[in-house]
Amino acid sequence: MYTASKAALATLVLGLVATAAVRAQGVNGSITATATVQSPITVTGAQNLAFGNVFPGVAKTIAYSDATNGGRFDVTGQGSAAVTYSFTLPTNLTSSGNNLPIGSWTGYLNTANSTAGGSAITPSATPAGATLSAGGALYVFVGATVTPPSNLPAGSYTGTVTLTVSY
Amino acid sequence: MRGLRYALLLSATAVVPLAGQRPLTVTGIQSLTFGTLIPGIPSVVSRTDAVKSGRFDVGGPHDTQGRLTFTLPSVLTGPAGATLPLTFSGSDAGFSQSQNIGSQIGFDPKQPFLMTFSGQGRGSVFLGATARPAPTQRAGSYTGTITLNLTAFP
Repeated sequence: MYTASKAALATLVLGLVATAAVRAQGVNGSITATATVQSPITVTGAQNLAFGNVFPGVAKTIAYSDATNGGRFDVTGQGSAAVTYSFTLPTNLTSSGNNLPIGSWTGYLNTANSTAGGSAITPSATPAGATLSAGGALYVFVGATVTPPSNLPAGSYTGTVTLTVSY
Repeated sequence: MRGLRYALLLSATAVVPLAGQRPLTVTGIQSLTFGTLIPGIPSVVSRTDAVKSGRFDVGGPHDTQGRLTFTLPSVLTGPAGATLPLTFSGSDAGFSQSQNIGSQIGFDPKQPFLMTFSGQGRGSVFLGATARPAPTQRAGSYTGTITLNLTAFP
């Protein structure tokens, strides 16, 4: 009987050990979380659109290809990324409440800083598409025509051209 | 002898669940994928997104319970050690006994969750999250590791 009790106790202990081992059982597995962040877009007004001296009653046009006076924006972002762009364009340059009408906007898009090898555009508020270069660059050139009325007061006339670019 | 039979009965009861049962398993099935992010714009992946949500499959003794706990990163790590904040809401994790993404019980991945294996000893865990790139977030690829821990309750 004594031997039987010891055997029973041993069996019980083994059973409890086995139970304890089961209770301690745990496993794990892993996955990866991934994300790719694009380069932020920057737009820099690189060169002003400059008409210089104009005369009342005489229209003056600056071509987008005018290396000295044409307007230029430099855009940077994620290489080869598709973007949309749009312009906010003035209808007048102003000086002390006087208006100098501006219009007939012209433009050019290129992934290189050149007015050759790209695409002509018509700047407008309507969003349009473009693609950044592999290095993430885009150059936007603008030109326009001012039409000074014959009674335009003398002065320095200015306006703001805004280019908005987004992914 | 009565004591012997009683002891044997006890020990047999304790051991039986080990025999013929599925072993405990956790398998990473699908990464949690945010895709392309734009600096400054948070991106949410839902646990019900079949393409982007993370997924684990779990296995164990049928109709038994287990406790799920996650080891979650607070950031993803990218180029030159740059970090991208990652957050988990109170219902970003989901458990499906039927392993169907459309039939989940949501739970907080930051808290332990008591699950019950299906009659076939299976289940799936789905996970969503929100990535919050800063406006000045450095461009590049970011990764992190998410671990699901399963403890059995036989």
